[in-house]
Amino acid sequence: MNSPVSSRAEQEQIDATTKWPVLAFLGSAVFWLVVGGVFQLGASIQTHSPTFLAECEWFAHGRLAPAALDVLVYGWGFNAAFAVSLWLMARLSLASLRHGGWLLIAGKFWNIGVFLGVVGVLGGWSTSYELLEFPRFTVLLLIAAYAMIAVWVVTTFSLRNTENVFASQWYLLAAAFFFPWLYSIAQVMLLKAPVAGTLQAIVDAWYVSGIYTLWFIPLGLAIAYYFLPKLLGRPINLYYTAPLGFWWLISCGVLLGGIRLINAPVPVWVPTLGIASALLLPLPLVVVALNLLGTIGRDAGRAAASPTLSFIGLSIVSFLAWGVLTIVTSARGVATTFQFTLGPAGLDWLALYGVFSTAAFGAAYFIVPRLTGREWASPALVRAHFWSAALGLGLFTVASLVGGFKQGALLNDPSVPFGDIGPALAPWLAARSVALILGAIGHLAFAVNFFWAACPVNSGKCRPAVVSAPPDLPAPVGSEAHA
Amino acid sequence: MSDVPDKFRLEQSAASDESVQEVHSRLRANLPDKEHGYSKTPLILLGVMCTLVFFGSIYVAHYSIRFDPLVVNAHADRAKPDDGTKVVVTRAQLGKRVYQANCMLCHQANGQGQPNVYPPLAGSEWLANEERMIRIVLHGVNGPITVAGKEFNNAMTPFGGALSDEQIANVLSYVRSDWGNSHPEVDPATVARIRAETAARKTPFTAAELLQIGN
Amino acid sequence: MKNGLLIFVGLFTLAALSWAVMLLAPHRQYGGLGPAVDPVEGSVHPYGTSGLAAQGRLVYQDLGCATCHTQQVRLGTADLERKWGARPSYARDYVKDGVVLLGSSRLGPDLRNVGARLGDVPAAEYAEWFHKVLYAPSSVAARKPAHPFLYDVRPVNPGQASHKALRLTGSAAPAAGFEVVPTPRAEALVAYLTSLKDTYEYPDETKRNAPPPADQKGGH
Repeated sequence: MNSPVSSRAEQEQIDATTKWPVLAFLGSAVFWLVVGGVFQLGASIQTHSPTFLAECEWFAHGRLAPAALDVLVYGWGFNAAFAVSLWLMARLSLASLRHGGWLLIAGKFWNIGVFLGVVGVLGGWSTSYELLEFPRFTVLLLIAAYAMIAVWVVTTFSLRNTENVFASQWYLLAAAFFFPWLYSIAQVMLLKAPVAGTLQAIVDAWYVSGIYTLWFIPLGLAIAYYFLPKLLGRPINLYYTAPLGFWWLISCGVLLGGIRLINAPVPVWVPTLGIASALLLPLPLVVVALNLLGTIGRDAGRAAASPTLSFIGLSIVSFLAWGVLTIVTSARGVATTFQFTLGPAGLDWLALYGVFSTAAFGAAYFIVPRLTGREWASPALVRAHFWSAALGLGLFTVASLVGGFKQGALLNDPSVPFGDIGPALAPWLAARSVALILGAIGHLAFAVNFFWAACPVNSGKCRPAVVSAPPDLPAPVGSEAHA
Repeated sequence: MSDVPDKFRLEQSAASDESVQEVHSRLRANLPDKEHGYSKTPLILLGVMCTLVFFGSIYVAHYSIRFDPLVVNAHADRAKPDDGTKVVVTRAQLGKRVYQANCMLCHQANGQGQPNVYPPLAGSEWLANEERMIRIVLHGVNGPITVAGKEFNNAMTPFGGALSDEQIANVLSYVRSDWGNSHPEVDPATVARIRAETAARKTPFTAAELLQIGN
Repeated sequence: MKNGLLIFVGLFTLAALSWAVMLLAPHRQYGGLGPAVDPVEGSVHPYGTSGLAAQGRLVYQDLGCATCHTQQVRLGTADLERKWGARPSYARDYVKDGVVLLGSSRLGPDLRNVGARLGDVPAAEYAEWFHKVLYAPSSVAARKPAHPFLYDVRPVNPGQASHKALRLTGSAAPAAGFEVVPTPRAEALVAYLTSLKDTYEYPDETKRNAPPPADQKGGH
């Protein structure tokens, strides 16, 4: 086993091996983020102005809306996840990423798969299963690309130069393991050898729930667990509770799919089990709050001054909000009002964007200068990104929840003709569009900054980054002194 | 280069990865020693865990309705249904379909037949004798025949080849019990016996032959 | 938590548990559920769509109608009072649907029983109403995106107006000398929508989903 990395030179060596794969994944991610944002905005406008783009078959709402979500999940979400997991696993394993060139090929295949999938959905070859709309011919491409990338993450972990396995690594391993499990089983049971009847709905609900609770949320938490001690110079508060929080969150997550099937024509014990899992969710929320908010402690001001930590703060708050809302809306009575409205989509967006994307933005703001050797060109754009992301997320969540409950109340009131519900909902739908515009502004700011910093052409304009050797984390008070 | 970075300029990390790993592993290994033996936090968490699991289990027990796959109603009766779900179907009910497929064309849905053309079945005295009825259905009947006081002279096709014993028993049970008739059911075994007895017969019966089969 | 292998074993156990409980168990329970056969009439329920209606389901899928429309009638909610169905939807209703399109959003109304909803209206008028909803929803006061690409606006052959042409008035009507004719895809889709009816009362499901008798003490 090599001696542990202790010098700045060796840390830079790890960064050098991760440079091209991570930047390539981040670049693709940013591209898909912008494209997906445009699609999503178009779909959102169509909800309150049904005539928008209606004549064009390729942009019919039933095709545009799923395409938008798929681009944001598989294009932006997965590429950003790959970038961050590779870098994070390399850094925490204190091991360099070997033969990273292969990852560029894997990334290309992944992007080709996403592109073909989106074209498939817009062109009318959608499978019509939520989050699995990409046509069958993209499946093997995506699985093969993913397998390569996950193998790299796991191999880097197994070749680690440190005995210790930190919390972020548990979450990264969980995510890396669960996605192929979820995806391949769902593809087999829905498309390859389809199960009959409403079993399909159960499989789809299991998959969609898994994507949010077992892939995106663990990745967001992995990022938060790493950057808080690293940037604040303090260990995670009550760290010994972290494994409990991890295992409990995963245990809840694996059975949570049923809450999407309340009142559905499936055996009633399936949603009941989902609701029971949601009932168990407060524990990991408490542990994560103790760990992460406790680490920030009174240093909220210092955290707010750092772009990385301000985004991560957004992520933590979103996670806690998501958790509480999931528990509350899983109760049968509340779910009967909440389901089939804007609300569940708002909650899903809170997981994808609030928990994961904000953390990924924060991580990117830390990682990219270290890889390119150049600072971010414009602090103003960074600030603009943060505020538009925060405001956009907040507005979208509030509009979805409040509008959702209102819509649910109207749906469940038989004296209200269905035609009256649309106009009553229009202001909330419009608010969501506004929120997406705000978010898009932030993403453009991020994209501009990113390509300015990452692109080697602009070498004259930016100051070279100075990374001083990081000091050691202070040992916690009261623990044994060690040699 | 410089001392304290500006706000939003490149931020420096406050700890190396190595020390992050090392310090946290020490935290895992040495739980902080509290003076009073147990730290409050894990006890509270333990309490939370147990409460949640307890309530979760009660919820599952209450709302899974025997894990019955056909139940979608969370508030359905939790008691096991008795097997009175079996719908009792009589031969007459089954026979109705056979009648509609084969007999209705001539004898009509209301069993009245057509005056001077097809004899009625409603109120027909022939129905009382199942030996005769079975023979009629198996091999047909032609020539003059008196039904309910009216004369008919037509040919009825045999149905022995088209219908099984079960079907013939069913349709006769239906005809004998509907439209005001009330005669007992016909058993498929009877049909089978008569089919065997008349196996050699190639031509339809006549009324005179049938009337000789006393009952 | 130092041992990578232990972490992997733990994750695998949880994944296997999830699959076994949520996917395998329901599959064992009702994966082989077939249609119910009425003991008296001998009819099979559900019968399944075929022909034009089956093609229409493919059109429904490819246009992504499930994005805004659900196909499940819920028990104990206003769905029954809105006459979206005479009874709640049961799992058996979907066993013959190749792709089950339960949907998860109701920007538009539930469609599971839309074929039964217009009551005694003759089938041709029914189909006409669906075509109007798809071509020019504002003409029938429906607030939904139009799908004009499913229709051909073509010049009328002199003296031979197509019997399939839609009868539109006002702003939705085509220019003089033109008629709006549904394409085969539109006809298939309407055939599918007209076929959506779940009216059979399954004796087994009805019995098992009945609430407990009111006189039962301590029941729920």
